[in-house]
Amino acid sequence: MFTEVKEIFNYRHMLISMVQRELRSRYKGSFLGFLWTFVNPLLQLAVYATVFPYILRVQQENYAMFLFVGLLPWIFFTSSLQNATTSILNSSNLVTKIYFPRIILPLSSVCTNLMNYIYSLVIVIPALLITGIELTWNLLWFLLVLSIEFLFVLGFALALSALHVKFRDVAHIIGIITFCWFYVTPIVFPMNIFPESMQKYIELNPMVGIIEAFRDIFLFGQQPNFGELAYSTMIAVITLVIGFLIFKKFEKTFAEDL
Amino acid sequence: MNGVAISIKEVSKSFKIYKDKPLSMKEKLLKLRSDEFSTFYAVNNVSIDIKKGETVGLIGHNGCGKSTLLKLISKILYPDKGIVEVDGRISSLIELGAGFHPDFTGRENIYMNGAIFGLSNNEIDQRIDEIIRFSELEDFIENPVRTYSSGMYMRLAFSVAINVNPEILLIDEILSVGDSNFQRKCYDKIEGFKNSGATIVIVAHDLGTLEKICDRVIWMDKGQIVEQGDADYVINLYTQHMNEKFVERKQQEFDQSNDSKVDEETNTLEQFSEVVENSFSEDVRWGNREVEITQARILNDKGQSVDTVLAGKPMMIEVDYKVNKVQEEYIFGMGFYTNEKYLIYGNNTQIGELKIVDIAKEGTVKFKIKECRLLSGNYLLNVAVVDKNHRALDFIKYYMEFKVVSNDKSVGVHSIDYSWEI
Repeated sequence: MFTEVKEIFNYRHMLISMVQRELRSRYKGSFLGFLWTFVNPLLQLAVYATVFPYILRVQQENYAMFLFVGLLPWIFFTSSLQNATTSILNSSNLVTKIYFPRIILPLSSVCTNLMNYIYSLVIVIPALLITGIELTWNLLWFLLVLSIEFLFVLGFALALSALHVKFRDVAHIIGIITFCWFYVTPIVFPMNIFPESMQKYIELNPMVGIIEAFRDIFLFGQQPNFGELAYSTMIAVITLVIGFLIFKKFEKTFAEDL
Repeated sequence: MNGVAISIKEVSKSFKIYKDKPLSMKEKLLKLRSDEFSTFYAVNNVSIDIKKGETVGLIGHNGCGKSTLLKLISKILYPDKGIVEVDGRISSLIELGAGFHPDFTGRENIYMNGAIFGLSNNEIDQRIDEIIRFSELEDFIENPVRTYSSGMYMRLAFSVAINVNPEILLIDEILSVGDSNFQRKCYDKIEGFKNSGATIVIVAHDLGTLEKICDRVIWMDKGQIVEQGDADYVINLYTQHMNEKFVERKQQEFDQSNDSKVDEETNTLEQFSEVVENSFSEDVRWGNREVEITQARILNDKGQSVDTVLAGKPMMIEVDYKVNKVQEEYIFGMGFYTNEKYLIYGNNTQIGELKIVDIAKEGTVKFKIKECRLLSGNYLLNVAVVDKNHRALDFIKYYMEFKVVSNDKSVGVHSIDYSWEI
C-alpha cells in the first residue's frame, strides 16, 4: 500500500488537474457557471426546509440549519459514490491508452465532491451566524470528522468503481442503496424520531456518527461524540482496506474489460 | 536492473475472446449470453532485455503481439505470467491526445495532458513555449480543441508527449502525423532523444525508418520472437519472409481464380471450343495456326502453376502445343516484356540449339530457368512457335502478366551479382 501512496503522490499533478477540470467543466458553458456550486445546495435546502416542517411537522429548533449541516456531508457522500462509480468507465479512453495509477480516477471524483463540500461552507458559516448560532473552537474538530468521512467514502468509491467495470449494474444498485440509506440516517429528522428499539440498529450505520458529529460541531458548538466517531472511524478504515483490495484485484484487467 | 531500462522475463499475455460477453449481473446469472470464450495468446513466453539508451524496433505483421507488448511495457495491460520491470520515466506515444478535453483551449489542454504524464504546472510553464512552437499552433492555441482539425489535434498531442523529456519513449505507429515537414521534425526530435541517451521502443511498418534509427530490431510472430539482432539483418530476413508470404498468397489467389476459370471453361466448352484463341485480340496474337499454342504457364520451383514468382528461385515456362499441319521444322520461343511493352529478354529453341523436326501431334515444350533474376515488378510473358523461316505459326505476344518479388533492392529490371568496394 505504501508504494501506491507514493505513486499517487508522484501523480498528484494529474489528480489536481483532474479535480480542477471536473470543477470547471461541470458548469462550463452555463450562465451562472461556478455559482451553481452554491445554488444547487441552496435550492435543495430551500425545498427541504419548506417541505419537512410543514408537511411532516418535524419539531426541531432552527430546522433549516439543522438540515443544512446534515445534508451537505450527505450530498458529499452520495455524489462522490455516484461520480466515482462511473469514473473508470467514463475515462475508458485514458485507461486503455496510457498508464497512470488507476486509483486517481475514483480518487479525483471523491476529491471533486470534497472540494464542493468545502466551497459550500462558504454559505454554511454565514448562514449559521445569521440564524444566531455561535461558533466555538470546537469547529476545528470538523477537519477530523471530514477526514473520517473522506476515508469511508473513498473506500466505498474504490470498490464500486472497480466493480462497475465488470458489472454495469452497480451504478443502478448504488442509486437505490443510497436512496434507502438516506432514510436510516438522521438527516431530515433528528435521531429520536426512530423508535427506541430500532435506535441501536440505526447506530450501526457509520454515517450516523459522522452526521451527528457535524451537527455537534456546527450547530451545538460542542465536541463530537468520540465513542460514535471511533466506531465510524473503524468502519471507515475497514471499508477503505476492503475497497482498496477489491480495486487492486480488478485493476489489472481494466484495460481489457472496458 | 543495472543498465537495463526494460526487462521482460518469460511474459505471456492472453485474451479471452468471448462469443457474446455477459455485461451485466442479470445476463451473467441468467446466462442470457453465453460466456463461452476461446483463449488467444497475444504474447507468448517472451523475454527481452532492453538496455538504457538502446533504440529497439518491433516488427511483425498485424496481430503478432507487438502492440500488446508495448502496452505491457507501459503497464496499461498486466501480464498473465512473467515480470515486466521498467526503470525510468515512460512517455508513450501509443495513443495521442488521450485525455484531451474538447471544450478547453489548446493551452489548457497542454497543462492537463502534461499532468497526465506526471508534470507539475511549473514544469509545464518551462516547456510550454517549446511545446506550442513545436506544434506550430501559435495562432490557435487559445481556441477550444474541438475546433481543431484532426491534423492540428495530433500535432498538439505529439508535441506534448514528446516534450515531456522521457527517459523511455514508447512509439506505436504514430509517425504518420501531420505533413511531411512535421514528420521530419518528429524524427529529428526522436533522433535527439536517442543521442541524449533515452531508451526508445518503436513499433512501425515503415521498415526503412526502423533500419535507420534502430540499434536492434525484434521480429515477432504469433506472440513469439522469431528473430532479433542488428536492424539491417533482421529487417532483411523479415522482408524475405514477407516476400515469400506475399508470393504464397498470390498463388492461392491465382489457383482459386484458375479453378473458377476451369469451371467456366468446362461449362462452356461445348459452345466455345477455342477459348484461348478468343481471349486474345489480333494485335496480340497472330499466325496461321498450323501449329497452335493451346496453353502456356509459369511454374515455380515446386512445379506449381503461378502468376507470381520469387526471384532467386528456379522457374519454368511450359508451352502446350497442337500440330494442325506438319512442318519441316519447329522453333518455339519465349520472352519477357515489361509492362511498358519493352522486351527484356527473349530466347527460342534455335538460339538454344535445340533442333525440332519431328514431334508428337500434341505435347509440351519446357523452358527451364535455373534462377529467376528479374527484379521486383510486373512483367508480361510472350510465347510463340514459328517455322524454319521464322514465319509465325502461332505468336502470342503478351500471353499473361506475372509478378516477380525480389529481395534485391536494386532498381531496373534485372539483378546481377555485384559488390561495392572502395
